[in-house]
Amino acid sequence: MTFPSPAPSPAGTDATADTAGSAEPAQPASAFVGRSPGQLMWRRFRRDRTGVASAVIVLFFILVAVAAPLISLLYGKDPYTTYGLDDPGLLNEYGYPLLPNGGISSEFWFGIEPSLGRDVFTQLVYGIRTSLLIALAATLTTTILGVVVGIVAGYTGGRTDNLIGRVIDIMLSFPSTLFIIAFMPVVWNLLVSPGEEMSALMSATTLIIMLTVFGWASLARLLRGYVLSLREREFVEAARVTGASPTRIIFKELLPNLWTPILVQATLALPLYVTSEAALSFLGVGMMEPTPDWGRMFLRGTEVYQDDITYLMFPGVALLIFVIAFNLLGDSVRDAFDPKIKH
Amino acid sequence: MSTRRRPALAVLAIGTLALTAACAKGNAGGSADAGSSSAPRPSETNLTELFAPPKIEVGTADDSKGPAIEPEGVVKGSTVNMIDRDDYPHLDPGRVYDNVTANFHLLITRGLTGYKKVGDNHYKVVGDLATDAGQVSDGGKTWTFTLKDGVKWQDGSPITSADVKWSMERLFAPFITEGPPYIQQWLTEEDYKKSYKGPYDGKELGNIETPDDKTVVFKFNEPHADANYALAMTGYGIVPKAKDTKEKYDKTPVSSGPYIIAAHSLDKSMDLERNPNWDPATDPIRGAYPDKWHLEFGYQALAVTDRFVADTGDDQKTFSFYTHVAAERTQQVLQDKSLQDRIMRRPSPYGDYYYFNLDRVKDVKIRQAIAYAWPTKQIQTITGGPDTSVINTTILNPSVSGWEDYDVFGFKQHPEGDLDKAKELLAQSGDPTPTIVYGYNNTPTEQRVTVAIKNQMAKIGIKIVAKPMDTKTWYDATGKVENGLDMYWGGWGADWPTAATVFPVIFGPVRDGGYNQSHLKDPEVTAEIKRIEGLADVDEANKAWAALDKKIMETITPLVPGLNNVGLQLRGSKVGGAEIDPISWVVSPNTIFVKP
Repeated sequence: MTFPSPAPSPAGTDATADTAGSAEPAQPASAFVGRSPGQLMWRRFRRDRTGVASAVIVLFFILVAVAAPLISLLYGKDPYTTYGLDDPGLLNEYGYPLLPNGGISSEFWFGIEPSLGRDVFTQLVYGIRTSLLIALAATLTTTILGVVVGIVAGYTGGRTDNLIGRVIDIMLSFPSTLFIIAFMPVVWNLLVSPGEEMSALMSATTLIIMLTVFGWASLARLLRGYVLSLREREFVEAARVTGASPTRIIFKELLPNLWTPILVQATLALPLYVTSEAALSFLGVGMMEPTPDWGRMFLRGTEVYQDDITYLMFPGVALLIFVIAFNLLGDSVRDAFDPKIKH
Repeated sequence: MSTRRRPALAVLAIGTLALTAACAKGNAGGSADAGSSSAPRPSETNLTELFAPPKIEVGTADDSKGPAIEPEGVVKGSTVNMIDRDDYPHLDPGRVYDNVTANFHLLITRGLTGYKKVGDNHYKVVGDLATDAGQVSDGGKTWTFTLKDGVKWQDGSPITSADVKWSMERLFAPFITEGPPYIQQWLTEEDYKKSYKGPYDGKELGNIETPDDKTVVFKFNEPHADANYALAMTGYGIVPKAKDTKEKYDKTPVSSGPYIIAAHSLDKSMDLERNPNWDPATDPIRGAYPDKWHLEFGYQALAVTDRFVADTGDDQKTFSFYTHVAAERTQQVLQDKSLQDRIMRRPSPYGDYYYFNLDRVKDVKIRQAIAYAWPTKQIQTITGGPDTSVINTTILNPSVSGWEDYDVFGFKQHPEGDLDKAKELLAQSGDPTPTIVYGYNNTPTEQRVTVAIKNQMAKIGIKIVAKPMDTKTWYDATGKVENGLDMYWGGWGADWPTAATVFPVIFGPVRDGGYNQSHLKDPEVTAEIKRIEGLADVDEANKAWAALDKKIMETITPLVPGLNNVGLQLRGSKVGGAEIDPISWVVSPNTIFVKP
């Protein structure tokens, strides 16, 4: 009698080969039986030093973002006050910090912003908060939308699949950046009534919606492919024969096998959205002044770098570290799930 | 000098300033005192002189005789090169209403009057084709011009009074929509295209008379003391009656000036050669020293600046009419000692205003509180510092004749804003915590300026609701009467340096697309404008305009004056006589020559 395992993924079987050659040799068969794929993945991930280091860095960034108001409180500055304009001793008449290294001092740890004279440290901390929140929300929504559409297309097949496939084609071939740049002012006009200022929440929401609209298609296409191959497998056939409802098949049979690509895609998508958000702010359709924003800081840095390289360094290096760390983390997660493609 | 080019110029100016900020003297890694305001800088010594308005007066018949006054060390001959971003939109002088194109037309088009440079920052309005700057009679209603002997078209036929009359009449034709409106309105009515349709169907305009081949008489409905200034605009340049091809004239103009267009490749290049029938003895304005001009278009500021900085080969004989030093290079240009003798600087003759919408901000106390608290110094710091702008306190730009300095709101005494006074006024007003909807050009610099304004106003309890707006459609959006905004930036440049081209326009009729952006409808002001316009004596009128300027600011405060910008340009080392013209804010071709 065959037993339709809920997760007979290649990762599960190959795990033996992997663990066999590693620090825990000669694992008896009983150990294999007792571990879920999740546990196996976790064990493999813990042994990946790069992965753990990246995860620590990523966690640090998330912690900074979450604790931004607390940091600001302890540090005694906020990202909105124009210290340099209010206090004549900080900026010269061209708007550049008087002190060397972008005005770094015991009072302003990362220096002060040229022109407006705001505190760079709190700007960066709050900027990370803004960017991470938007990227996280966009990742969540695109993943959910992508998963739903992908499974529906793959499982139902036929006309539905055809229709969804064409929609995905269109979405993937759409010049999304251009579209967002052109369409964003229209959205703002529609949403913001005259006489009111657009709130930071509103522009964050529009950004998330835009990123979602153009972000779900690639994940959906990927999952459709997985589902297409999975639904012809014996365990799905068997479930269908035993009279399982489509809901049960999707949630109990298909979805557990899809967690690997979903998680990997999501961890790779998040840094992408951080950079996308930064790029859109860079292009003038992201978060508006005075909301602190990573991308806009970076833009300003490229304008003033000849005279104040420090102001480019802090957001630039922070962005670089974060994106590299998150990408490495994504790689490690994939490797942990799917050691077959380990380099 | 014009309304139509103004939005582009404003954006250009803002862009320049934004980028200037990026390159101004920096202190990253430098010592603490390297850029402090106490350290001496080359520009500081000269500021008063630099910002002195040009002296402009009406010249005599003697002044109107050619040739033009030669710049020091002038050398005639050779070819000069000019590089810029854009080709000229119109070669038909009747369709020109922007400073850059008007400046080019000095090479090929003449008019009845024009500006003659008589000294440093000193100009005279003289007769160009006419023997003098016009004879006034009938209390300012009748202007008589007599044409010089020996003035000819490029084909050698003489320029006659019939040509002048024709050139004015054709401005009423339906296809000419771009030029200035003044003379047409003065001859007929405000909506001048209604009363006369142009000369092409054989009808003449009765109140321009040509008693003989050399005399033109303008008979205006009301006195106009400055018709000679108006006629100096390129829009009133002459077009030959015999060779007027209507719409096609815009492609194939006939030259009355010192050069003929020998070749023109649209948006790419243009070559000019001498007009053999132009006699320097008849022209008090144009030097026309080079034999040939080679103009090239399509260059951005950075490329132009780099070529001038490198100064090699043919680029030594090259200059630019209006390309300012690219932002990324401003610091380099200002600090490089070897470039100092090739730098041209000039304050802008355009007025910059932060208008109140008087339909919405009705309480004068609130308007004045905002004016008192205005963060002038902060805005200056953000837009690039005192090397590229100066604090302005009046409605009229200092270059407009009759301008008188006053500082009602202490912009110079309290450049950071007088918060105490503002709070005091707010407390007396109807609403001590008003909300102001402020529209701004959505550019990075303007966003920063808005942050400064917002923070400053928050200090006195005013909530600023900032609305980012598209730069391209800026004037369309703010020009609507129902624009939904309380405050917004706007600019205006005098068409000729008299307040008669400022006040009647920016406090004129309120309509969609109009230029009265503060919606000021004060009967007293309107009556005073009408009265001053009717004054025949220019000095008296100027005094009255200056008094009106101050009175409007004191009693109504329809705007907060913005900063005056300062232009910065470079040129090749072998180009002589180049300077930014204080009236048009572009480099005039009249004095250009090539050093050997």
